[in-house]
Amino acid sequence: MSDCVIGIVGKDYVLLAADATAAFSIILMKDNEDKILKLDDNKLLAASGEAGDRVQFTEYIQKNLSLYKFRNDRALSTHGAAHFLRGELATALRKNPYQVNMLLAGYDKEIGGSLYYVDYLASMQKVPFGAHGYGSYFVWSILDKYAHLDMDLDEGIDVLNKCIAEVQKRLLLSTPRFIVKVVDKNGTREVSLDNSERAKIQQDKMDA
Amino acid sequence: MTTHISPQMASSGTQHGKFEPYVNNGGTTLAIPGKDFVIAAGDTRLSTGYSIHTRQSSKVFQLTDKCVIVTAGMQSDASTLHKTMHARLVHYEHAHGKQMSTEAIGQMLSNMLYGRRFFPYYTFNLVAGIDSKGQGVVYGYDAIGSYQSVEVGAMGTGQSLIQPLLDNQVAYKNHQLVPSKELDLERALSLVKDSFTSAGERDIYTGDSVEIAIITQEGIKYETLQLKQD
Amino acid sequence: MSLSFLDKSYNAFHDDQSFEEANSNTLTLYKEPGLVVPPTFNNAGFRDQSHEIAKKFAKGTTTLGFVFNKGIVIAVDSRASMGNYISSQNVKKVIEINPYLLGTMAGGAADCQFWERYLGMQCRLYELRNKRRITVSAASKLLVNIMYSYKGYGLSMGTMVAGWDHTGPNLFMVDNDGTRLKGNRFSVGSGSMFAYGVLDSGYRPDLTEEQACELGRRAIYHATHRDSMSGGIINVYLIREDGWHKISSTDMDHLHWNYVEDKKKEIADRNKL
Repeated sequence: MSDCVIGIVGKDYVLLAADATAAFSIILMKDNEDKILKLDDNKLLAASGEAGDRVQFTEYIQKNLSLYKFRNDRALSTHGAAHFLRGELATALRKNPYQVNMLLAGYDKEIGGSLYYVDYLASMQKVPFGAHGYGSYFVWSILDKYAHLDMDLDEGIDVLNKCIAEVQKRLLLSTPRFIVKVVDKNGTREVSLDNSERAKIQQDKMDA
Repeated sequence: MTTHISPQMASSGTQHGKFEPYVNNGGTTLAIPGKDFVIAAGDTRLSTGYSIHTRQSSKVFQLTDKCVIVTAGMQSDASTLHKTMHARLVHYEHAHGKQMSTEAIGQMLSNMLYGRRFFPYYTFNLVAGIDSKGQGVVYGYDAIGSYQSVEVGAMGTGQSLIQPLLDNQVAYKNHQLVPSKELDLERALSLVKDSFTSAGERDIYTGDSVEIAIITQEGIKYETLQLKQD
Repeated sequence: MSLSFLDKSYNAFHDDQSFEEANSNTLTLYKEPGLVVPPTFNNAGFRDQSHEIAKKFAKGTTTLGFVFNKGIVIAVDSRASMGNYISSQNVKKVIEINPYLLGTMAGGAADCQFWERYLGMQCRLYELRNKRRITVSAASKLLVNIMYSYKGYGLSMGTMVAGWDHTGPNLFMVDNDGTRLKGNRFSVGSGSMFAYGVLDSGYRPDLTEEQACELGRRAIYHATHRDSMSGGIINVYLIREDGWHKISSTDMDHLHWNYVEDKKKEIADRNKL
């Protein structure tokens, strides 16, 4: 529960942020743990939860989506992937539950960006934004106030910055680093939270 | 008129007896390896709580011509373990036409104990034998199969009385200046006897008699030492 | 409302068996090497007791490993305790899986020893089947998948898998709840916080081999000094491209008095200036 994931749908993209900490008892074991898995070229899955379960379940989903594409020569839509993921989680729930909370982000040509909120009890909902973990309590109101579906990427990242700043200010448990990824028509990539750094990358691209 | 209600009657609901499959039958075992010999010993008292059931229950079990096992802990599990090991060793001898090496027995016991990881044998074992190089070797185990060769090993209820002293006298631990010198059979045997008489003085679970197996290239000799009978 | 199916310990013994099966005396779950899982029948007392017995193995430990420019240093203590009794002062907590792979041992001695021995066998089989050495990443994943399949059964291990493969030096931390972390600085065990203190403040990637080994040794020494559950001998290993090398095996007490002397000299020198 000490881990925190946030997702926002913008104009033609979906942003995902996840804290990068791996904790054991009172020890911070790692501050660069990537909790946002690339499922395929246009899907990202951010997950938080029980040690072990998180990696085992998300990698299981990733590998099965890849198997689906291999067998059918066609990747599952974000909608389809979300339902597959939910179904697997629901089946496992009555046998040996996975303690994982997830946000699935995807970009499909026909419908644009979409975000699915899935919790460990296998409830699933398509949402414009979402969050998991203790951090989510601090984040919901900010998202309600500032986020909307018409934001361009910079605006989206600004909202994300507000969310992360609040979590880092008010949540007792330290989350020194966040990893942020975006999925849009160009695929998936990691983005910087720093505005000036982003502008510089943009400038470099134009120069090139 | 007063009615007396016993505590049992007062408690409501059915009381189920707990299934407790484990008991510590007490006793001490000891093994010391030397350059070309090894000594293994165990007392013969078997008790539960404050009752002594018998004064002649052996903890020493011969596995091959140059290897024995001594087991402390629960007698029932020890007996099962010894019989299972014996069966495996007979089978091995029939299949391979030779006896299993002491090193292989060491690893086999580890695997057998770990095979019962989730319902352990309540036994604390020492395997003592002559290895394939002709040297004495002792392997010490925990209940679930972690094992390592040891310079001197004591197990059971007298472990905490004997082990630290023999660490000092056999493995020369915690000496600042005394150089370690080779241990001969005579001195090892006298240390074993003294250890048991001393443990018998202070541990209620150790007493009656000690069976001592002395293993050399020539074979295994057994000795018995009487301890106090109280 | 009872949600006992969410309870791990309950789940551990039920798994997927039918009632008839669950009430027979013993079950053999054909997981890897056919471990016997006890019956569910009236096992409340059994669980209490077997838990006590399972506790009777090495618990306290300090182990550490870190990657630096020249390779990987692994350093460990050697104490094993059963409750308050020190059951051994010279446990080998570095398990030599093969000439290029090391595993460290924290938690249950038998669990670590057995599964790392099993891992060694699997790594050898991989070599024979594929005519090349297994990567550290793959080896650690074999181990974590076993750990994950036994999750909730009460295994206890916190281990580092370290080695050099075609991608270079690699260090992974694997534990019994199925965590597997790649990193370049880990410490595991009851004394790990003390070791981290020294390790984090003295670490630089450009340490020489000697400095790195001394840092590992010093971090474990301070952990054995502060943590009663750690102690004995300090073993240091160095992993280079040509595999692992055992660097030193030093009694903690000898180190202590050497360090005390060093500190005295340092203070005397400072007062001279």
